[in-house]
Amino acid sequence: MAVIVKKVELNWVDRTYVIPVAMGMFITMKHFLKQLFTRSRKRFTVQYPDWKREPAPGYRGLHELKRFEDGAIKCVACFMCAEACPARCITIEADEFGDLNRTQGFQEKRPAVFKIDMLRCIYCGMCEEACPKDAIWLRSDYEQASYDRLSMQFGKWDLMNTYAERDGKARITQDPTPTVPRPPLQS
Amino acid sequence: MELLARILHISPQTFWMIAKVIIVFAGPLTLAAILTWVERRGSAMIQDRIGPNRALLFGRWRLLGLPQLAADGIKFFMKEDLVAEEANNTLFWLAPLMAFVPAMMGFAVIPFGRDFTEAGRTYSLSLLDPGNGMGMLYPMAIGAVAVYGILTASWSSNNKWSILGGMRASAQMVSYEIGMSLAVIAIFMTTGGYDPHQIVAAQAKTWNVFPHIFGFLVFFTCMFAETNRLPFDFAEGESEIVAGFHTEYGSMKFALLQLSEYVHMVTAAALIVTLYFGGWQIPGMAHPPVLLSIGAFVVKWVFFCWVFIWIRWTIPRFRFDQLMFLGWKVMLPLSMGNLLVHAYFMHRWG
Repeated sequence: MAVIVKKVELNWVDRTYVIPVAMGMFITMKHFLKQLFTRSRKRFTVQYPDWKREPAPGYRGLHELKRFEDGAIKCVACFMCAEACPARCITIEADEFGDLNRTQGFQEKRPAVFKIDMLRCIYCGMCEEACPKDAIWLRSDYEQASYDRLSMQFGKWDLMNTYAERDGKARITQDPTPTVPRPPLQS
Repeated sequence: MELLARILHISPQTFWMIAKVIIVFAGPLTLAAILTWVERRGSAMIQDRIGPNRALLFGRWRLLGLPQLAADGIKFFMKEDLVAEEANNTLFWLAPLMAFVPAMMGFAVIPFGRDFTEAGRTYSLSLLDPGNGMGMLYPMAIGAVAVYGILTASWSSNNKWSILGGMRASAQMVSYEIGMSLAVIAIFMTTGGYDPHQIVAAQAKTWNVFPHIFGFLVFFTCMFAETNRLPFDFAEGESEIVAGFHTEYGSMKFALLQLSEYVHMVTAAALIVTLYFGGWQIPGMAHPPVLLSIGAFVVKWVFFCWVFIWIRWTIPRFRFDQLMFLGWKVMLPLSMGNLLVHAYFMHRWG
């Protein structure tokens, strides 16, 4: 479909070109003065490495693997997230609890390996939506960068501790010895 | 003056000449360097941004981003100096100088302060003393020479974008020179001479901008074309021909080309001030003290430099045919009409 462009007819004031230019200069000067006399905290620019922006509540940043109060991982290695992931960046290897499952009512499985390739991850949040246990959350941290590829491979313990400092939780590096049965599972 | 000259064992005239050379060389160059900073910070402010503020002096002082100048200079010196393989080597090296030297020369006749007398000698505050016979013709001629630098740069690069930029620059310069010259001739006429000192002295009562308002508009517009500044920066239309005449240039040669543009701007601002805004004259003060007159000149001068930047960030680039239309069909008749009207009034009442 052809678009018919109507030629704008300028009136004589606009055709002198001097007055419109003066008006334009007035506008730019207004912006200039406004920006000049605004305190730098109030300007639009967030001067990034010095100041950081608090992301909105629904922001999808770095993942966290959630844990129970005693430190046990919530993930049950069901592979739903790995299936849902469009970038195929999640690698899970399941591990069994053995006898404890039956005798003390623990969950059947847990991940022995839970790896996310952060270089591949597109932060779409599909894993979060797919998870039946709410075990993986995408949260507010948006500063992931590193000098080598290997440190962008986040393992199970990295992912469980990503927000430990921020939430005031202890960093954990191994599965706690299970003592108390899990609360009844809702699913 | 006498004392300083005696300490250095030279005559006061020689001493004053050396001092003036230093002032006239260092002043515009410093202002041009600062203008690059003003351009970046000012444009940022106009566009509601912040602009370069990260360069630190000795890793400590931020100084509103002024160390960026030093950082850029050091960077330009350190960069690899590439010359395109098919370029004409000699001219390629010569072109930045050909652009830079005329830009620096134009300032020589501008009186930047009131003449003063000391121990029976009159010292004038312009590099070339009044009555040198060249007067205002000198900066006009030098300004016209400046296009050769751009043309040489573009031609020697052996690059299509460059040559397009150079062609545009030369066409633009030729078409705007005529309107500009006619506007200035009207001033020569009403002043009765073409020496800048005379022109400034004639503006003691009213600045030329009031009787010559159309001449001023023409001259002002032509100055943008002469300095290749937006809205007339066809020589380097980034969105059209990569970077125009300095597409192939890098490192310090590029810096020289860029600096010559700013020096042109500084000279053009000084010309506007001298011709239309009374040079060092202060309204309501017949004989201002010398330092005050220099201050008045500098204030006007810096303001017009700022206007150049201000307009750059207000008006988008013209199309080339619009430029030609404006040059030949608007500016030329307007300045010619201005000349004729002034000639008529002078004939009738003058």
